[in-house]
Amino acid sequence: MKPLLHAVFRSYAEVFFLQGGIVGFLLFGITMLNLRLGIAGFVAVLAAYAFARVIGMGKVFLESGFYTCNPLLVGLSVGHLFQLNALGLFFCVAAGVLTLLITVAMANFFTTFLKLPLLSLPFVVVSSLVYMASLRYGNLIAAPAHQPAWLADDLGLPLALAGFFKAFGSLLFTPSVIVGAGLAALILSRSRILFLLAALGYVVGATVRHWMLGSPVKAYTDPLNFNFLLIAMAVGGVFLIPSVRSYLLAAIAVALSPIVMDAIAGFWSYYGIPAFTLPFATVTLLALYTLGLVGSPLIAARIGLTPEETLDTHLANRLRYPGSERTLLPPFAGAWTVWQAFDGAWTHKGAWRYAYDFVLTDADGKTHAGTGAKLEDYYCFNKPVLSPVRGRIVAAVDDFPDSPINDPDKVNNWGNLLIIAEPRGWHVELSHFAAKSLRVKIGDWVERGAVLGLCGNSGYSPQPHIHVQAQLTETPGAATVPFSFVSYSEDGLAHANDLPKVGGKVEALYPNKRLDSVTNFVLDEEYRYAVKHKGRATDDLVLKVRMALDGTFYFDSGAGVLYFGRFEGTYYAYRCDGSDPRLRAIFLALPRMPLACRDGLTWRDFVPVGLVASGLRGALVGVASSVWHRFARVRVTSRFVGEHRVETTVESRVLGVKRTGAVTFDRNKAFATVTYGDWELTRRDDGK
Amino acid sequence: MKRPYEKPVINKLRSGLMNKFGWSPAYARKVRTAIDGVSVDELCGQFGSPLFVYSERTARRTYRQMFNAFSTRYPNVEFGWSYKTNYLQAICALMHQEGSIAEVVSAMEYDKARLLGIPGEKIIFNGPHKPMAALEKAVVEGAVVNVDNLDEIVDLETVAKKLNRTVHVGMRLNLDAGIYPQWSRFGFNLESGQALDAAKRIARGGRLKLNGLHCHIGTFIMDPQAYAREITKMVKFGYELREAFGFEMESYDIGGGFPSKSRLKGVYLPPEVAIPGIDEFAEAITHAFSEALKPGDFPKLIIESGRAVIDEAGYLITSIVAAKRLADGTRAYVADGGVNLLFTAFWYKFNVELDREVGGINETSVIYGPLCMNIDAIDEGIQLPPLKRGTRLIFSPVGAYNNTQWLQFIEYRPNVVLVTESGEVEIIREAEDITDIQRRERLPKHLELKNGK
Repeated sequence: MKPLLHAVFRSYAEVFFLQGGIVGFLLFGITMLNLRLGIAGFVAVLAAYAFARVIGMGKVFLESGFYTCNPLLVGLSVGHLFQLNALGLFFCVAAGVLTLLITVAMANFFTTFLKLPLLSLPFVVVSSLVYMASLRYGNLIAAPAHQPAWLADDLGLPLALAGFFKAFGSLLFTPSVIVGAGLAALILSRSRILFLLAALGYVVGATVRHWMLGSPVKAYTDPLNFNFLLIAMAVGGVFLIPSVRSYLLAAIAVALSPIVMDAIAGFWSYYGIPAFTLPFATVTLLALYTLGLVGSPLIAARIGLTPEETLDTHLANRLRYPGSERTLLPPFAGAWTVWQAFDGAWTHKGAWRYAYDFVLTDADGKTHAGTGAKLEDYYCFNKPVLSPVRGRIVAAVDDFPDSPINDPDKVNNWGNLLIIAEPRGWHVELSHFAAKSLRVKIGDWVERGAVLGLCGNSGYSPQPHIHVQAQLTETPGAATVPFSFVSYSEDGLAHANDLPKVGGKVEALYPNKRLDSVTNFVLDEEYRYAVKHKGRATDDLVLKVRMALDGTFYFDSGAGVLYFGRFEGTYYAYRCDGSDPRLRAIFLALPRMPLACRDGLTWRDFVPVGLVASGLRGALVGVASSVWHRFARVRVTSRFVGEHRVETTVESRVLGVKRTGAVTFDRNKAFATVTYGDWELTRRDDGK
Repeated sequence: MKRPYEKPVINKLRSGLMNKFGWSPAYARKVRTAIDGVSVDELCGQFGSPLFVYSERTARRTYRQMFNAFSTRYPNVEFGWSYKTNYLQAICALMHQEGSIAEVVSAMEYDKARLLGIPGEKIIFNGPHKPMAALEKAVVEGAVVNVDNLDEIVDLETVAKKLNRTVHVGMRLNLDAGIYPQWSRFGFNLESGQALDAAKRIARGGRLKLNGLHCHIGTFIMDPQAYAREITKMVKFGYELREAFGFEMESYDIGGGFPSKSRLKGVYLPPEVAIPGIDEFAEAITHAFSEALKPGDFPKLIIESGRAVIDEAGYLITSIVAAKRLADGTRAYVADGGVNLLFTAFWYKFNVELDREVGGINETSVIYGPLCMNIDAIDEGIQLPPLKRGTRLIFSPVGAYNNTQWLQFIEYRPNVVLVTESGEVEIIREAEDITDIQRRERLPKHLELKNGK
């Protein structure tokens, strides 16, 4: 029963781009202020939900409220127009089920072919159908719902302000100042950005219509004004990353919408149908589709519970994951220097801009001993070149001679080369091997770190170096594509997945066997921790290892989940959901860690502001960050202290936060102790 | 100036070309007036003679060259500083600053490393004698203990039982890498199956886990391929252990034994010619290692080099206190430092430099030390011009083993200084005086002398 109610109430929250059962319950209460309306909506949702279960839709699909929010709106619209006698109720049920069917069908089409959200289009479609069909149903008693007088009171507010709140209320078919103010307060409490966007939408939309219509009363009290609110919220904060630009786009979208709105309203009214949310859906989808076509970076990759969370996750992730999915290990052992990077000064240009050159240098920055006239003077000459990826050798050439210093081969640019086909669908090309030095041949399978050959000076190479690039085909000299390096240190700082700078000293970090096995958390394993908060013992924490639908592993504490993973030699804490402070402590004590343990090795990371800030300060930071993305950053610095311990500092100047944490590892599995701020976790079972 | 009288002798002149012994021609001699820019005169004026002088610049440069030779050829390399080679604190600290962990072979060396602030987990504990107390301390502090013999396995199991936990240990192997003599007194023999038996014993005991193999094939090894054979055998054995007992080898420690640019007695060619460069060793070792390892397996390669890293950074300045002719007419000199300070004189023929230009023809000479013993000869056949009393001889390379094996016998041990990278001179070990000799002694009451009686 409880999950059912949760799912039903979530449909209510979804209408306002919010999530959560409690918000939904409050909204449900608001609809019940007008009993007929409330019952009709509730019945439609229940009917849709029941039908979904009958046709076997999984619990997971229904839990979000995504599939049942449109039936709710349809139910409300039916309740708004018709009396709820037996026939009326039947009509609600039928409309609810029909909406679900149309939602499922349209959702498939929209997400697969258009990569667009469905918004409230099914509601528009079904409500229009219902209204048109009802014209023939003599037995249905059409009697527009009237709200009680106390609800209709404008409380003496100025016209524009009253109109603003009424627009809110209209979203639940209750154009009342009181209800609208309640809704506005609810939204404000959940998300300042959404509230500000709603206000922006109303001001812009109503002002434009005021100019167009010439009548303030019509402009400010039009029941369709809620479309402005929805457009502004959807474009400015829900589907795009909240930013000055998204706010501007939201304002533009709202400013354009009266044309759509009035056209639709005029046309629809011919058939006696209200325009519903069609103007909102049209304008919003148009905006999103266009932004998608032009590849706008504003489109949110992951939509959070609120725009604040979307923004926070986006900002943290942009800093946390600077690399790409074409990942290479630096193709050498020891510390090499970047000679040329992407868009290099000499040859990495045009179609070949995504490439790296590496050389070995000494303390004085020189690449050679002696005079540098001989190949043998160069530190990197004849040093092993290691495979940056695992894959199959598809091209191998090593019969070109090594060019003399500063006399490169202008005909065979790539010199002696290897091309490795990466099973993930791209190729890596390495060039300038020493003559006759290849240790692999076409058809060989190589693992990461395998010795491929020796660094040389064949091809267009003024001095010995390793050239590496990623490309999509196996043809030597093909156009290059972006890639990034994983598991390396640059000038002593460890990087998980990033691009080293020209002049940086880069060293591959190979996983340490013990750290690798210690962090190999296996499904269903359980770790029990004694917990102390501010020095006082509290309940034990039991972490269970689980796997999410997309294959991501997580620790489940019962009160929350911590998603984590190991990718290319790095342990990551991805995300912390729920409100378990102990999981947050684990996240913040170890947001990331190279699996190559070296005493003193240091690395930097960033975590979402939401993990460390709360209350009014957190709320203000959220809004300020949307205007200035660099406003608040939570920097994390971690380092290995010995072989089994990591110490971490979490710091933000704007938030006035500076906390320290530490993790020690058990010799066999998992964390032996975790400390962060006031929290102290100590492993109870001895790791057997 | 009036030259002092000297009884005439007839010398055969061997001038001009380099002879087959690689000795200097008659007039060639080596002069060194300064070490890293600090003049020898100034050094002796301030710190006396004899005097050990270390060059920080050379030490660091040699270390880096050597480390880079390996680390640019294999991605997981660690150096363990061999304490026995030179455990002067300053030298150890310098090696640790460069990134080396500690390799110790006795309880005393272990204590020395800990005292220097090195945590247990950064110490490799080798050697045939590990007293129970030291063993337990090492295990508790997380040191890497390489087991030398069966009795030690029993001791370690006792420790593991006492601590009630599994203890990870390494195993010292001895094997035939084509080097004679084979150092079979250390560790377990590989070819005879002794090592496998020991592993079986460890697995059966259930309290220890093998996670590393260690071997050391000898000292001053001049054949890089010997190491290649060593590592190949070790890795093969490592995989056998994984197959048989599930022991995962996290590291392979191939020991040290790399030669420095020293000249062994009896080797005719100069070291620059006779001794392979460190790159040749690194190439042979890492190539063999990569070939032997399974794809995707990158255990740590540990190298415990001592001599090759520090030898060339050390100099000993001595002064001539007397010149004489032996009965057979050979010219001989007595210097204020001899084998008491240069233990390695027993097998090295040092590079000897003079602190000034000296005229005259070279003649075969002997350099004796200050001891009242016949064995105290540092060089019994060196070409030197006639030297005056007070002339300083600078011996090199002397950085390895001398400051650990030197004798206290009848003399005080002198100052040891370090010329830092910025050119300053720091004392890193003060000259001894009588209190150092007496401090530990106790004179029983009835033996106390009164008025000299």
